[in-house]
Amino acid sequence: MLGDEKRGRYARQILLFGEGGQKKLKSTLVLIAGAGGLGSAIAFYMAAAGFGRIRIVDCDVVELSNLNRQILHSEADLGRAKALSAFDALAGINPEIEVEAVVERISEENIDELLQGCDMIMDGMDSFPSRYLLNRAALKKAIPLFHGAISGYQGQATTIIPGRTACLSCLFPRAPPPAVFPALGCTCGVIGSIEVTEAIKYVTGKGRLLENRLLLWDGLEGCLEEVAYEPDPSCRVCSHMK
Amino acid sequence: MLISMPDGSRRELCRDEARIEEILKELGINPEEVIVAKNGRIVPEDEAAGGSDQLKIVRFVHGG
Repeated sequence: MLGDEKRGRYARQILLFGEGGQKKLKSTLVLIAGAGGLGSAIAFYMAAAGFGRIRIVDCDVVELSNLNRQILHSEADLGRAKALSAFDALAGINPEIEVEAVVERISEENIDELLQGCDMIMDGMDSFPSRYLLNRAALKKAIPLFHGAISGYQGQATTIIPGRTACLSCLFPRAPPPAVFPALGCTCGVIGSIEVTEAIKYVTGKGRLLENRLLLWDGLEGCLEEVAYEPDPSCRVCSHMK
Repeated sequence: MLISMPDGSRRELCRDEARIEEILKELGINPEEVIVAKNGRIVPEDEAAGGSDQLKIVRFVHGG
């Protein structure tokens, strides 16, 4: 049973998935890859929802040009490591959860250690090479990867579940050319919120996940669409695992 | 063949069946920047399309 304080904090969402669902969230260890625009929305909503253990990883420091969208950080954090700034913000919003801040660049060398004990990966990265790294790690560990990406008013999200869905490389077989992307905080909010909704549904066993479905958000048109996709039998990453 | 372009506009293309990568080339679109759904399902660019197929060309994003 949850204590009175916990029941009070989560009362409105316990209406959705019961104390049992809340306890599942509490026992979930999440890796949030990136504490930028997407990572900010993801981290705030996961902390508020009571995901019990959050490991947030980012190697960058807070810059003024981040503050239009990276709502984990404030002017007082300029020059600080984003992961440490995130730690303070998350501890403030929900002191009942455990937060671990890791100031490192996610790489082939450290991904196994970063994922130790993790139940899921939240994509808050800003490039496809780093997402491919998360995808491979998710497949190897057989844990879900909740993908999201943004540019300007546009965003996309999908849910990768090893053994059940196509992988990220089936869907996006090659990375787009590198480019500076325009970024709006509210678009990060939309896509980050969708990723967290997926994670909550996954943990509590509610609803229909974005499995083999890519959700496309066009903020300029005010339009949400989905397109289906399927595993690529010749995928260079996952086909040999089937 | 009805094509939904990355900017949301629509084009009608009357041509024989062709590989999607050729269609993209004809439309002046870099295949590295897009994925293509044929009749609501994302397909590899070596797949053919034509006739009454509906293509949706999606410029996928990569920022975070």
